[in-house]
Amino acid sequence: MNGPAKQKSSFKNAVQAVKNYPVVLIFLGLLAIFSVLYSQQFLSPINLTATLRQFVTLMLFALGPSIVMVLGSMDLSFIGIWMLGSILLWLLSPIIGPVALLVIPILGVATGFIVGVIHTKGRIPSFILTLSLLITYWGLTVVLAGGYPRSIPGYGFITARLVPRVPTPFFLSIPIVLVAVFISLRTRLGVYFSAIGSNEEGARLAGIDVDKYKILAFTISGAFTGVGSVILFKHLGGSAAVEFNLNNVVRPLVAIILGGTPLVGGSGGPHRTILGVLTFAVLYRGLHLSPLRPELIDLVVGLVLIVSIILSSRGTRMRGVDVT
Amino acid sequence: MSDKAMNQRRFFPSLGRYATTSTIMPIVATVVVIVVFQILNPAFLSYQGIVTIAYSMSYFLIAACGLTLVIMMGSFDFSVVSVMKLAALLCVMYIGKLGLLVIPFALAICAAIGFVNGVLFAKLKVPSFMATLGISVVIDGIALVLSKGFLMMMNHPGFRSIAVTFILGMPSIFYWAIGTWILCTSIAVITPFGRRTYAIGGNPKAVAISGVNVARHRIVVFVLSSLLAGLAGVLYMSQLGGGSVKIGSDMMIPLFASVVAGGTSLKGGVGGPQRTLLGVIIITWIQSGLLMVGAGRDIQVVVLGIIAIIMTIATTERGKLMRTIVK
Repeated sequence: MNGPAKQKSSFKNAVQAVKNYPVVLIFLGLLAIFSVLYSQQFLSPINLTATLRQFVTLMLFALGPSIVMVLGSMDLSFIGIWMLGSILLWLLSPIIGPVALLVIPILGVATGFIVGVIHTKGRIPSFILTLSLLITYWGLTVVLAGGYPRSIPGYGFITARLVPRVPTPFFLSIPIVLVAVFISLRTRLGVYFSAIGSNEEGARLAGIDVDKYKILAFTISGAFTGVGSVILFKHLGGSAAVEFNLNNVVRPLVAIILGGTPLVGGSGGPHRTILGVLTFAVLYRGLHLSPLRPELIDLVVGLVLIVSIILSSRGTRMRGVDVT
Repeated sequence: MSDKAMNQRRFFPSLGRYATTSTIMPIVATVVVIVVFQILNPAFLSYQGIVTIAYSMSYFLIAACGLTLVIMMGSFDFSVVSVMKLAALLCVMYIGKLGLLVIPFALAICAAIGFVNGVLFAKLKVPSFMATLGISVVIDGIALVLSKGFLMMMNHPGFRSIAVTFILGMPSIFYWAIGTWILCTSIAVITPFGRRTYAIGGNPKAVAISGVNVARHRIVVFVLSSLLAGLAGVLYMSQLGGGSVKIGSDMMIPLFASVVAGGTSLKGGVGGPQRTLLGVIIITWIQSGLLMVGAGRDIQVVVLGIIAIIMTIATTERGKLMRTIVK
């Protein structure tokens, strides 16, 4: 007796889950299409390892910004923290040894705090503030590096292979992601962040110190980016880059928006970003296996960004949010 | 004492109204920048120095005017630099086939891009910053596919003469820029179109209620911005006669900094193209000044980034707007 009813409700649950996370359909669809089209290469161990590597890179970059995006703000400074942090590590590690690894998280937290304070007290839109800061950090990186990419010796333990075929940074990133998901789902902070994102004035009237929590959000974002960059600098080749690439900034944003965190804030968060990043990594690897030229892949990524933004801002008209 | 104050108020009724930080800051900054770099390098205010600055300022001013119109409206156009690059690239690639007709062709494509930007923003309700960021990634991709990343040169005397003919001791691109600037300023200050643009920047809802088609107006302004960016790209190519897709990929920050340094607030509703002239003078003067002093491009990037942040804070009016929600 209980069987069919239970089955039905679980079916309903599944439908509800798909409604809440439409990206699951896209993910499964992409997986099916690519497995059929390139069955030999796509499911090969080499490609799966490459997909995992892509996943780690995007996940650690997208983690901080996805927390900030719940508030309806934007944090683009993550690439700046990664670049400047790596070059500071290169400068400091011969002097103070492995302790120098701490410099990246410290830079991240400091950047996040400064961004938060200027954003809330100076009333500057966060995207333009973090964009300016990103460019400033890039310039500083080039000045400090003397114009050349510098390789950072040592720190091999970050990428030392523990399990065959699975990159160690993947294991290292799991606890970081879990902490972020815990903060946004199981703490008061997460609730306040969504409240501020969905209705800032309402949150203020309800007695939430909006400025304080905004500064906190940016600081947390900077901290996650900083901790992530400790893994990423080694994961991405163990050197400090001096070349600024807009794609590095855009791809994590695509992943966040694909995951279902709307640009106007109010819902979503790191747990959704996991799905978005997974989908994007599969899409990206699949496109690489296809006969498309690399520059065409950039074009496709841009189109995916536009389409996913349009879809994710569909609901804003009803809520009376004014777009700028 | 109070009598005197009263008199002053009566004699200069408008002076107090205009003497806000966002008006005075750019003028003071312009004077300071010019004086400082003049002391550091006396060759600046020579004829040669001024022609050099006019060259590096002109195309920049045209693009900045377009961006100002958008920022005045309370939105943001990230795609200006990409549109510029695309227009320049189209000129180089198709001048052999189309001759001088390539200019209207490139401008039409730029206008179409502006239309897409406007529709994404005004009709599909995508925040303008993200919409134009996405579009600029797509345009960069198209530019890369078209050019295959090669450096392109051109040698079409008719096309080159558009920007580099000397009239009354100044290159013609300078007159193009001044003409565009006067046109934009008169659109913004005199016409009802300009007044509506300011009004939408101040309070879009009120403008919509008072019967203006806000969506259509926004689309038109985005088309104008892309059109001006395209014109800047065409003139830039005419001035240089060649280049790769890499040109000006880091130009967004100087452009944005010059609009904000002129006193156009990111909040919208304040400023205008008339102020952007000062901002462009400040930024190009700093850029050329740093070069003349011997600082490389990297230090320029750092300096301009910091200037952009400081100027944005300085030109944001405090007080009444304090409760505005800032995203």
